[in-house]
Amino acid sequence: MVANPSLVLKKIDEIVFENQEAPTITEPTDVIVQVKKTGICGSDIHFYQHGKIGNYILTKPMVLGHESAGVVTEVGPGVKYLRVGDNVAIEPGVPSRFSDAYKSGRYNLCPHMRFAATPSTKDEPNPPGTLCKYFKSPEDFLVKLPDHVSLELGAMVEPLSVGVHACKIGKVKFGDTVAVFGAGPVGLLTAATAKTFGAAKVIIIDVFDNKLQMAKDIGVVTHTFNSKTDGDYNDLIKHFGGQPNVVLECTGADPCVGMGVNICAPGGTFIQVGNAAAPVKFPITQFAMKELTLYGSFRYGFGDYQDAVNIFDANYKNGKDKAPIDFERLITHRFKFDDAIKAYDLVRSGCGAVKCLIDGPE
Amino acid sequence: MVANPSLVLNKIDDITFETYEAPEIVEPTDVIVEVKKTGICGSDIHYYAHGKIGNFILTKPMVLGHESAGVVSQVGKGVKHLKVGDRVAIEPGIPSRLSDAYKSGHYNLCPHMCFAATPNSTEGEPNPPGTLCKYFKSPEDFLVKLPEHVSLELGAMVEPLSVGVHASKLGKVTFGDNVAVFGAGPVGLLAAATAKTFGAARVIVIDIFDNKLQMAKDIGAATHTFNSKTGGDYKDLIAAFDGVEPNVILECTGAEPCIAMGVQIAAPGGRFVQVGNAGAAVKFPITEFATKELTLFGSFRYGYGDYQTAVNIFDANYKNGKDKAPIDFEQLITHRFKFDDAIKAYDLVRAGSGAVKCLIDGPL
Repeated sequence: MVANPSLVLKKIDEIVFENQEAPTITEPTDVIVQVKKTGICGSDIHFYQHGKIGNYILTKPMVLGHESAGVVTEVGPGVKYLRVGDNVAIEPGVPSRFSDAYKSGRYNLCPHMRFAATPSTKDEPNPPGTLCKYFKSPEDFLVKLPDHVSLELGAMVEPLSVGVHACKIGKVKFGDTVAVFGAGPVGLLTAATAKTFGAAKVIIIDVFDNKLQMAKDIGVVTHTFNSKTDGDYNDLIKHFGGQPNVVLECTGADPCVGMGVNICAPGGTFIQVGNAAAPVKFPITQFAMKELTLYGSFRYGFGDYQDAVNIFDANYKNGKDKAPIDFERLITHRFKFDDAIKAYDLVRSGCGAVKCLIDGPE
Repeated sequence: MVANPSLVLNKIDDITFETYEAPEIVEPTDVIVEVKKTGICGSDIHYYAHGKIGNFILTKPMVLGHESAGVVSQVGKGVKHLKVGDRVAIEPGIPSRLSDAYKSGHYNLCPHMCFAATPNSTEGEPNPPGTLCKYFKSPEDFLVKLPEHVSLELGAMVEPLSVGVHASKLGKVTFGDNVAVFGAGPVGLLAAATAKTFGAARVIVIDIFDNKLQMAKDIGAATHTFNSKTGGDYKDLIAAFDGVEPNVILECTGAEPCIAMGVQIAAPGGRFVQVGNAGAAVKFPITEFATKELTLFGSFRYGYGDYQTAVNIFDANYKNGKDKAPIDFEQLITHRFKFDDAIKAYDLVRAGSGAVKCLIDGPL
């Protein structure tokens, strides 16, 4: 048996290191990846603290982590494009190949989705996370990283794909004027995507000045607005020089959703990315009178992972100095695998981390 | 001066008959219509009882009515397709021809819209007149000629039917869709009728009154009905709908529990059109919405092409005669009044008489 050191959430407040059995090639298109870098996501922290998110309830131990990149160590006989030694980003959710959702082009909505580090609603083992040494994926759920895109950036492909998916659902395009609510990692990466897709103006809204400053520093916004101190939605519109035609809501917070409807131009687009813990107060008549369109956005689907890698590729192709967006600055904390529990506790305590990366086990 | 007897809302609870000056041809494309039939809309009743709807506040007298059909009595020299004597449905909202909203194909969102019987928000300007009068002026392109076999009574229902048409087009209702309509009032029934006409395989209408649900079945607009007060919860609705999650929701109530139920029953990836007005912000299950990747379309009145489509729906429905008509639209007309009894008509509808659509004749 090949040892697979793993980081396991046993139940609320209890994370331990365990040695599990490494996965083996069973399908011809299976690939084994040695995980090198993993980012901590807010959802991991939520399971750590609360043991559940919505209908996903932790009833048995689960390997954590789903934002990872690594190196291919083994390939099945049917693998066509990847070779041992390739650097890859791992897309952590594998759907059923037979579901209507998959067939109709919306595999992210597949009811049989097995998503790393998300408790299964069925009577089966929890889908393993990526905070371990060896992780198995089918070839088509791995994206090869170009030479100039590091494994650290590879670990950010997952949250960037959330932003990509949201911007594609909302058809963000050249010339759009975009408002993003929330300057956490998802909001920042969503703003980065909108900018890359050609938005003429991007304003980001949050209640913390340091987060707004980060958005400016990395080059993803043309405007910022502190919704606690800078006034109401009329002040935002004045500051922005007009109503945005696209709103990307990345907080799930009631006042942000309401403000988003208030600022959006008639006929505009509103994409809901952020999760709300409970139903929100929604100004549906203002929404209807302006004929806005609200798109629900959930994780990412076909082509989003490749687009995210392509965004990093294009951004860094002329070197770090000429990179339009300073994505690497979002990585604020780095830990070795043996300090993974410390990493989780640090992020859980709200230390001002943007993206915290954990190395794979040696 | 040509006399124009009109029904005027002076202020809350105060409707009177007044004689105003009839409109005249000013632009070459102007048409004068002698109004023959007008339906009462819930919004009229709301102004009568509350004096305002959202930001539209009644501060000066206003001629009521906006759901009308009539006969062309005069045409300007630039009028190309209509003649004196033609029967027409009147589209009551005229936008600015210069606005960005108009130019970009969204004239219903024009900020300078002049909508009959909706208070004008501009200071010092008279309220746009309603259609409950003898003579009403429209530009030619905001009138739709009625085919021979489509009566003036149906012509007065083109306006609310256009609301259903606009919503169904926004929601891209198409052949084979499974549609849920919340609300079995006139708007819901006409929205269901539109969905059926557009080829929906199944249409379920939801309301809390059995008699309204019966009407939906009787007129042929619904394949299924569900009483959300007595029929159970959203799972029971799906069971009653042949186990099918609807892929299109047309929300025509504005009521919080209906909106939430709509999100719960919708199939993943489905489309949700908000037609009904809510009095205040609603509690909205936005995470379920996002997890299912639904799309919510806000729908407001009607826009380019919707009036013509509505007339075409009546045309196709009645072309082989009333007996062979798939949908019995005329059954929706439950009350009829002469112009002189218009105030009685408004009081009857306001009292909650069980009227579906109440029509008032134009002045003689």
